[in-house]
Amino acid sequence: MDECQSAIPTVDGELHVVAAAHHIVKALGTTKNLSDDLRKILINLDAHLSTMTSNIDSKGGKGFFGVEEQLKRVERKIMIWEAEQMMIWDSGPKDTSDYLEAVDEVQTLIDGLQSLSVYENRKRKELLRRASSLLQMAMSRLEDELIHMLAKHRQQFEPSKYVSCRSTRWNVVYNESFDSLEDEPAKETSSRNCTSNESSEYIVDLVPAHVIPDIKSIAKVMFTSDYGQEFCEAFIGERKEALEQYFAVLKMGKLSIGDVLQMEWTSLSSEMNKWTRSMKIMFRVYLASEKRLCDQILGEFGSCNLFCFLEISKATLLCLLNFGEAVAMGPHQPEKLLRLLDMYETLSDLVPDIDALFSEEAGSFVRTEFHGLLERLADSVKASFNTFRVSVSSNKSVYPFPGGGVHPLSKYVMNYIRMFPEYCNTLNLLLEDRHSDAANLVTELQCGRNASLSTSCPMACHLRSITSSLESNLHKKSKLYKDEALQHIFLMNNIHYMVQKVKDSELRHFFGDEWMRKHNAKFQQHEMNYERSTWSSVISLLKDDNPGSSSLSKSTFKERCKAFGIAFEEVYKTQTSWCIPNPQLREDLQISTSLKVVHAYRTFLGRNPAHDEKCVKHTVEDVEKSLLDLFEGSPRSLRNSPRRVKP
Amino acid sequence: MNANEYQGSFLGRISIRRNQVVVMDAIHEQELEDIELFQKHVSDRFSELSSPSDDDAILSISWLRKLLDVFLCCEAEFEAILLMDRDPYQLSKPPFDRLIPELLDRAVKALDICNAVTNGVESVRHCQKLAEIAISALDQKPIGDGEVKRAKRALITLMAAINLDDKDGTNAKSTERSWSFGRRSGNKDRVAGQFRSLSWQVAKNWSAAKQIQSTIYNLVAPRGAEASGLPSPIYTMNVIMIFVMWALVAAIPCQERTGLPTHFPVPKQLNWAHSLIGLQEKIADEWKKKEKKGMAGLLDEMQRMEKSAQSLIDFTDSFQFPGDAEKLQEAAGHVAELTEICRIMEQGLTPLQMHIREVFHRIVRSRTEFLDVLEKGSLPVI
Repeated sequence: MDECQSAIPTVDGELHVVAAAHHIVKALGTTKNLSDDLRKILINLDAHLSTMTSNIDSKGGKGFFGVEEQLKRVERKIMIWEAEQMMIWDSGPKDTSDYLEAVDEVQTLIDGLQSLSVYENRKRKELLRRASSLLQMAMSRLEDELIHMLAKHRQQFEPSKYVSCRSTRWNVVYNESFDSLEDEPAKETSSRNCTSNESSEYIVDLVPAHVIPDIKSIAKVMFTSDYGQEFCEAFIGERKEALEQYFAVLKMGKLSIGDVLQMEWTSLSSEMNKWTRSMKIMFRVYLASEKRLCDQILGEFGSCNLFCFLEISKATLLCLLNFGEAVAMGPHQPEKLLRLLDMYETLSDLVPDIDALFSEEAGSFVRTEFHGLLERLADSVKASFNTFRVSVSSNKSVYPFPGGGVHPLSKYVMNYIRMFPEYCNTLNLLLEDRHSDAANLVTELQCGRNASLSTSCPMACHLRSITSSLESNLHKKSKLYKDEALQHIFLMNNIHYMVQKVKDSELRHFFGDEWMRKHNAKFQQHEMNYERSTWSSVISLLKDDNPGSSSLSKSTFKERCKAFGIAFEEVYKTQTSWCIPNPQLREDLQISTSLKVVHAYRTFLGRNPAHDEKCVKHTVEDVEKSLLDLFEGSPRSLRNSPRRVKP
Repeated sequence: MNANEYQGSFLGRISIRRNQVVVMDAIHEQELEDIELFQKHVSDRFSELSSPSDDDAILSISWLRKLLDVFLCCEAEFEAILLMDRDPYQLSKPPFDRLIPELLDRAVKALDICNAVTNGVESVRHCQKLAEIAISALDQKPIGDGEVKRAKRALITLMAAINLDDKDGTNAKSTERSWSFGRRSGNKDRVAGQFRSLSWQVAKNWSAAKQIQSTIYNLVAPRGAEASGLPSPIYTMNVIMIFVMWALVAAIPCQERTGLPTHFPVPKQLNWAHSLIGLQEKIADEWKKKEKKGMAGLLDEMQRMEKSAQSLIDFTDSFQFPGDAEKLQEAAGHVAELTEICRIMEQGLTPLQMHIREVFHRIVRSRTEFLDVLEKGSLPVI
């Protein structure tokens, strides 16, 4: 290299001096009033300088000799790899640095030769041509090396390592329709507190750190030699492919909008889940890391890093965007609500990341699209929420629900809204404008433990309005029972269920004590109404008509006993098939019924001890025991059972 | 009920009916006027498109943008006619209970086409970048072997990208990418490293050609009484949407275009359709000519780029330093042409992409509005 630097300036210097002198002489020669002598001297000088120039020129040919030698040497270094199957960067640091040095040398030669362009010279041109050709060969080689290197060192990742906890939320799919939901589908208490840990970014090495300097060295020579465009295109092509490979690992199927709109809910739900997960991994892990990679490698070369990053990520981004759009434009089924909320929250969490990753003008397209998608998801959440509310109040039954137990609608609604507190902040935000009265109160609301505030936030109001729709629907459904007592059992069961669900979950903060008191009172009222409508007539048979007389006449006693027996058997037969699924509630009712009935019966029998025991079909113990069979949901009969006689 | 009462109420009923009829007639007349105006606008807009100025040849970037504008304008007008002050119940009755869902179904298909084409613009941009490399190599003076080789490498990749197979985004003619791993088969003209295989956006077996076919399927012009009423603008809008999507698919590389229909029937006697039919025929002819060769599409700039690139490849093939002056000059002409095309692409591709996205969002929004109306219309009238 020293050789080269010394060879060029000698020739260069001489040529410059002569050329400058020649120039001056010519300029002087154009001066008008010169004496003939002086003019003669100048003409001579001009001729002399001309010969000197041609002398130097031929000497210059020899002067370029050193350059040519050097070029030949570098040519050998570069050409040797042209025949070589092995990649340079695979064969060791010595070869690599030799090669890079050779390329540098070619570049320096070209620079030197180009700076001589003031003076035309055939030799110089020829050398320059050879050097450029050599440089092109080297550049094309470097491009191949780059692609090989990027492909070879493409890192693989197990995405679950990065975003795991929240994606496991709600493994139970709410695909059930209103009529088929089993109780307690969602034992999973969510792991949403994990989300806070997620906010830290997981930047990973998409290309191993030790390879970065190699790639950078290629970038540097390619950019210096003005082959930056080639570098960028090769880099983009390779990284784009890598990104698509990562995307494929996330198993988000590529779906057309038509596909998404026609999808069954179960599959759609799982795709929505995958989207949420993919979005997080894409932006927090892959794209953040990709951006860093672009910056590391291309940061020094103007805005190439931004351009490349955008080009690399665009296709994948469009894929994610379009799935979101397809979901947002789909029908607003109530079962979609939770998943939609997940999508909304995820995107809303990611918006700052997206804005930061694509902060430049060129990325404005990406930013605008995702902001737009967020709005559309919000609309979709609101619409689905509304459909949910409408379907709660409009769910119709033709037949009474057998046994008067907890209606599937109650289960569905209560288990469903139990998840809402998790989305409190989001729901408050999205439901706010529909609820302008409360909006002012709760703008700064934190969904904390503050009872008075949490019960008045928009979400709380909406939740209560949903449960009250549910209640009025249940009242409608209760009218389908002909038996008034069963109507009460049904309402008692269902309201009790609602109260339990509220009490046992975060919902209690949003429904508040007053609601609880009111609804406790409601189901207790139904309990009492049940007792009255079933038992008051039965018990009245045991009442003393003439409080004055001590006992009934034999015939009256017999008659009363018989009537009681029949009535009791009838109640037994019907109400054993009724159902109170909650054991505590069932026991309570059995006890309180027992207290009244058994007490009345015992008193009745006790007041008439003298009469024939044959009349007494059921002993007090029988009655007490039989009462425990009620509300078990399995119809039984006392009539055919052998008469139980007191031992 | 005595006769008098009966008569009174009967007459009353008649007069009410008469008033209703008058009102209905007025509405109807207004509607017919609106429809006529809409169709006149459609006709005007398309006749403008079919006689483009030199700056925007048919299927050039700027022409496509005009086409998209036409779509947006027509769509806005159409929506106004159908939805403004409309009793939702009317649209839930036959024949609208069939026509509107069909329109919305086509709209969904159009959305997927928009996405495929948006992605296709990316591959046009890739071609632009490759052409720019060739330009920067050949812009040097004097041109030496190095520059020629550099340009050739870029141009060959460019041609490979242009000839990309629609089907899976890989090039059937090229040696694929195997060389980049095993490398160095000694082939001097190997495809440059930046050759990019495109993975398509839309679902795996999705085909733009089939999508277009299915939008054309069972598109029937309204006949008889329907021909003068609301069904007619619905038909018009259908045709416009299909035409726009079809033209985009024909122009811009996109997933699987083999078997793209070259014709969809639009009755010639419909006067609003004249220019549209003319354009359709022109584009279809071009498509037929080109289809067999396999190509990037009919986008005017791409076709010009392909021509110049091919000429420059020929130039690089025969180049021997210092090069024939005449050939050098010719090459300089092609370089200038490529430069101009790249300039147009640089200015036009991103806006085109955004414009397609705008159409996408418009279709989504309009679909939502129609669905809302249909939903209202299907609610029981109390």
